[in-house]
Amino acid sequence: MIKNTMRAFGAVATLGAAAAAAIWASHAIAQTGAGPFTEAQAQAGQPIYVNRCAVCHDAGGETIRLVGPAFTQAWNSRSTAALYTRIKTTMPFNNPGSLSEAETTAVVAYILKSNGATASATALTPTTDVTIASLIATHGNRRDPYAGYVSLSSMAAATGITFPGTVAKYTPVTEGMLLNPPASDWLMHYQNYAGWSHSPLKQITPQNVHNLQLRWVWSLEDGERQQITPLVHDGVMFVSTVVNNTVQALNAATGDLIWENRLGPRLENQVNATARAMALYGNQLFYPASDATMYALDARTGKVNWKFKISNYGRDKIGGVMIADGKLIVGLGVCDEPSLEDRCFIAAYDVKDGHQIWKFNTVAYTGEPGGNTWGNMTNGERSGADAWIAGTYDPKLRLIYFGTGQAKAGKNGIGDKLFSNATIALDVDTGKLKWYNQSAPDEGLDLDEVYEKVLVDDGSQKLLLTAGKKGILWKLDRVTGKFIDYVPTVFQNVFTHIDRKTGRGTYRADILKPEPGGSRPSCPAPSGGHNWPASSYVPEDDLLILPLMQICVTSQGDMPGNFEAPGSDGNMGRLSAYRAKDLKPVWTVQQRAPFLTSAMTTAGGVGFVGDWDRIFRAFDVKTGKTLWKTRLGTTAQGFPTTFMVDGEQFVAVPTGYNGGSPQVRPSSMFAFERNRPLVGHAVYVFALPKTQ
Amino acid sequence: MISRLGPLAAAIIFATAPAFAADNYQTDIGPTPKNGRQGANVQGRGTVLATLDRTTFTIQGKFAGLSSPATAARLHMGNVMGGTGPAIGDLKVPQAKSGEISGTFTLTPAQVAGLKVGKLYIMLDSQSAPKGNLWGWFQPAHVTVPEGVPQMGSWYIPNLLDQGDGPAKKNNS
Repeated sequence: MIKNTMRAFGAVATLGAAAAAAIWASHAIAQTGAGPFTEAQAQAGQPIYVNRCAVCHDAGGETIRLVGPAFTQAWNSRSTAALYTRIKTTMPFNNPGSLSEAETTAVVAYILKSNGATASATALTPTTDVTIASLIATHGNRRDPYAGYVSLSSMAAATGITFPGTVAKYTPVTEGMLLNPPASDWLMHYQNYAGWSHSPLKQITPQNVHNLQLRWVWSLEDGERQQITPLVHDGVMFVSTVVNNTVQALNAATGDLIWENRLGPRLENQVNATARAMALYGNQLFYPASDATMYALDARTGKVNWKFKISNYGRDKIGGVMIADGKLIVGLGVCDEPSLEDRCFIAAYDVKDGHQIWKFNTVAYTGEPGGNTWGNMTNGERSGADAWIAGTYDPKLRLIYFGTGQAKAGKNGIGDKLFSNATIALDVDTGKLKWYNQSAPDEGLDLDEVYEKVLVDDGSQKLLLTAGKKGILWKLDRVTGKFIDYVPTVFQNVFTHIDRKTGRGTYRADILKPEPGGSRPSCPAPSGGHNWPASSYVPEDDLLILPLMQICVTSQGDMPGNFEAPGSDGNMGRLSAYRAKDLKPVWTVQQRAPFLTSAMTTAGGVGFVGDWDRIFRAFDVKTGKTLWKTRLGTTAQGFPTTFMVDGEQFVAVPTGYNGGSPQVRPSSMFAFERNRPLVGHAVYVFALPKTQ
Repeated sequence: MISRLGPLAAAIIFATAPAFAADNYQTDIGPTPKNGRQGANVQGRGTVLATLDRTTFTIQGKFAGLSSPATAARLHMGNVMGGTGPAIGDLKVPQAKSGEISGTFTLTPAQVAGLKVGKLYIMLDSQSAPKGNLWGWFQPAHVTVPEGVPQMGSWYIPNLLDQGDGPAKKNNS
């Protein structure tokens, strides 16, 4: 059986015949062999492609373009039969399997021809099995400024310890430190177990932040996704890049390189590979490589202590990584290879040797709890529920909290598809499910609810706050998982009703049963009202500050593509603060450019956030007022952190230009309006002048 | 560079009107869906204000920044706010890259109901984007602020949620 891969192949919609013709013409390249398809098939495939495939693949989504270098890099080594099977079984997004055999072969023929293959007298069939590289020429490392995605994977590079060195003074990271993180460090993805992305540091204040100065910049390897969290411990910053799985230790005060380990490999295509979170524990640094290998490095030298494959299946990617109760907790994503064994999970591993302690599968199979929520789908057909964002942890309740993405298989309306699009609480000792809360059951629009689970106490009430792509901020009881309250943070037109007792949403009728010829809009688009740029909780003011995005998509009809959300006045970016205890709005700021970093706040009353248009700004957490801003080399993208070395508070922000739909969709909408370089992965570090 | 006529103009015009007055509407018309390569054809922006007097819907607005002259503009009713649907009627629009847009319509009860839930929208075509260059869905008149300026307290978000079992009041002022 073949599992579905919605994310990789995207949604349905159209461009327009003229646009498609232009694409065909502009991308035609020298062919290397006659295609096993006829001209008639390719011609027949064009309108199908235009009407069913183009909106994500050509209009900027979390997908590769099917015409051009991204396609050739992803599919060159694979066969026409594999391409046929992928399309036939997983596409279109909202109705997989609905293309007939003839329609699917026609689409394959159109894609091959558009990439430079020539037609022949031989018709393509579902069993035609020819390596795609033999039909089309590669595009090398050509860059498409409107694709928002650049792959430099094919460039050669050395591997292993390429810069030896030793951290002079390194204190092992203990569970006690993780329970009460030292103010001077940023030891984990969200700074603390509760997912606050908030530092107790106070040196930088609303009064002096305007004096911030650039102290150093460290360029990172370009190519692939870049959404890192610079971790800091004992004055050492740890950073990574996906393109060659390079991990580096830097002097956090000066930017000097201490050690570098190029772990490799360079994958042919690393779409969906993103090392957002590394983890520190003991003397080890845990790095999730793009080939789903988990590395335990000696944080002092960069040498590999041990490694193992979290998954042995194809494109699987390690998503969330965290330490809890001395265990390495890992979420798996993109788990959709054609094997019953390949399904997404959350698992705990021993930090000493990597042996698995427990495992929780996020896709329920027949006979398992929740296994009856997938209609008549066989186990092999079930997929999704990717755990692609790091979790949080309540050590008193001994519960870890992870989110899952949407189900990637089956039509809407067949069942809840557990445990997709849910907040999941697991016993840290056993991995057993304590509770789940599925805020968006039976999701089919790529509107994940996987993001950060922020743990906040309101008196004796233990809360969990989380927002997903629909932009609805959910408040749950984190002891029981019971729904408490919600508030929409951006315009959404997906739900027409949310039950205020259960929190369960009712989808718009035409989402469950699309109207022929209707436009079937989705607000937000899969770029999300909220996405991986995480929120920050300010305990001093009880504020949750969320980076938000206001983009919609129309996935069918005669006007497909991304557009500004109604009521947004053209402001794709939105930063909003809500009071946690009652979800009351406190302030909001809107701007044209979307925010593409997490919000990071400090006890000094200053918050930081960066955007697509290269602006990194400091704001007053009480009012949202911009206090300071500067322009960076390219898009501010990733998770800003702050730390202290020798009595000085520093602020670090990553830049990057690749990523999923949160940066691809606005990139397409900014075309011919605003530009940013498609180079410039880096970390910028700021501090006050030394005299202050 | 896109001309930003919208928020400030709306804020000025409605500054003395009560927030969410039932008969005043506004929309910021922006580019229709596009991808990178077609983006050059769907540039521009505008602000349109409207009033509903019983069934008479009067529209007046401005646009600028088109990459080619406007050719037509229409009032439509979509299937949902953010969705498309058939035209109700034509608007007056100059054959130019910028100018004023206007029109008066007598709405049916269904169209009035559609207006109140955000289904009515404007579509402006141009020579280079004949199937739609700018569009925007009418919202109840509300206070808007310029880009980058914080707005304290509650702020406007269009809300389509059925309020039957308890209002989501927190975000609507």
